[in-house]
Amino acid sequence: MSTLVIKDLCAEVEGKPILKGVNLTLSKGETVALLGPNGHGKSTLLNVLMGHPKYKVTKGEVLLDGKNILEMSTDERSKLGLFLGMQNPSEVPGVINSDFLRAAINEHSEKPVSTYQFYKLLDSATKEVKMPFDLATRGLNEGFSGGEKKRNEILQLLLLNPEIAFLDEIDSGLDVDALQIVADVICKLEDKGMGFLVISHYARLYDLIKPTRAVVMINGRIAVDAGPEVAQRIDKQGYEWIKTELGIEVAKEEKDMNTVSIGSCAVKESIK
Amino acid sequence: MKELLLDNISDNFVFDKNENFFINNFDGEKDIKITLNEDVESSLSMLSLSGFKGNINIKINKNSRLEIYYADFAKNLSKTNVSVSLEEGAKVIFHLASLTEDNSNKSFTVSVDHDAINTYSLIDNYGVVKGNGKLVFDGTSYIKNGSAKSKTRQSAKIMVFDEKSIGIAKPVLKIDENDIEASHGAVVGKISDEHLFYLMSRGLSEEKAKTLITYGYLKPIMNGFDENVQKTIEQLIEGRM
Ligand SMILES: Nc1ncnc2c1ncn2[C@@H]1O[C@H](COP(=O)(O)OP(=O)(O)OP(=O)(O)O)[C@@H](O)[C@H]1O
Ligand SMILES: [Mg+2]
Repeated sequence: MSTLVIKDLCAEVEGKPILKGVNLTLSKGETVALLGPNGHGKSTLLNVLMGHPKYKVTKGEVLLDGKNILEMSTDERSKLGLFLGMQNPSEVPGVINSDFLRAAINEHSEKPVSTYQFYKLLDSATKEVKMPFDLATRGLNEGFSGGEKKRNEILQLLLLNPEIAFLDEIDSGLDVDALQIVADVICKLEDKGMGFLVISHYARLYDLIKPTRAVVMINGRIAVDAGPEVAQRIDKQGYEWIKTELGIEVAKEEKDMNTVSIGSCAVKESIK
Repeated sequence: MKELLLDNISDNFVFDKNENFFINNFDGEKDIKITLNEDVESSLSMLSLSGFKGNINIKINKNSRLEIYYADFAKNLSKTNVSVSLEEGAKVIFHLASLTEDNSNKSFTVSVDHDAINTYSLIDNYGVVKGNGKLVFDGTSYIKNGSAKSKTRQSAKIMVFDEKSIGIAKPVLKIDENDIEASHGAVVGKISDEHLFYLMSRGLSEEKAKTLITYGYLKPIMNGFDENVQKTIEQLIEGRM
């Protein structure tokens, strides 16, 4: 069983401290919902866990089954069984999606897959995420719609089969049917014992994938680590109660957001 | 595709019918003159492995079209100076892909004179420079007075792999006629950290990720070569990363 332990993790971007002492434990088999107002460091945490070069770790450690992953390169972390579904997957022109997928699968298998094996894997995975096969033959995310990019992330999750997957707003940009498809894939992988740390602003996704715990990141720290009902509460009440009940001042984004509640946005977003 | 030997190209090589040529080992020091007779459509593909130095003068006569694919994977210096002159209705399309590395210093100058009406040129240069290399793309597309209804595009893109390598792209347009279309674009940049991170987050090593990205970048040149040469080019890219 894989366990990821994050201890007192501090990180900055361009000299600006973002993570200010994150403590969090996640085991394989758990699905943890990661919530928090915009700009409080959720994506930063996932990027730091995967080793994004833009972020500098200034303190703390991250252990996967006792091994400090902060010393490892990004590809080593992937091979160890970590996966990050990105909030904004890059478009990489010229790199053919299927060439990339095949290279990625090969890095995760003992010997390279044959062309036949690869197409079988790809065919069944594209069917599972209901992605048109021709997207696999195009440039990597090149000209993909927002929803197609997210499906491509889930396709990679299926093909690479990690121990623990971090998903950053995988539901944004997905239409209702696609959301169901993605949730079905996540549920299937949960049943197989994969661990998840899932960022979303919307209860809709959490209703479908049934997290086992919910944590809330405020001001670069995990302010709440509780049962899944917290996700529902935030959906209805926003984040103000954290301030009143826990006495934590919730820093607001510089560009004036007069409320940190996301309840009303959530409704608008899902109608679109 | 018909294979030619660089040594066998005479002082003035004439294309008099529609034919596609391939020159393997486009290397050494030499000046070449090529003429396309009227109403000929041909292509010329070249693969350079150790380096070429010289002038290539091309004259394309009335209503003829030449498409050139120049794959430069030379280890050493290259200094290639291409000048094309276009007669009425003539077209030239020039694709270059260059991988420059290991202290080598390369320059490719591609200039086109639009000498008559209704002419067309497209210059599409791609380069990757690494390991203290230096790569320069330049050249002038000149649309002369009286060459109405002509079109030209000069595009140069260079990806710089490391701090010590230098890429310079400075295509120039010179226009002496009103009724024409002309554009140019030059991009010199380094490989994107985001792209590398994305590929590496799926388990690809830095080298493998860079190879895929480079391959994607230089790949459009493949269209000009037969399958077996495409394989060679693929291996050259992989071997050099
Ligand atoms: N390159 C950067 N330069 C400066 N600040 C940055 C940079 N990248 C991120 N930040 C800042 O770091 C903070 C945390 O950003 P992060 O993306 O982790 O937030 P988040 O919690 O994921 O928000 P959201 O819910 O909007 O996705 C933000 O204030 C953001 O502006
Ligand atoms: Mg985010």
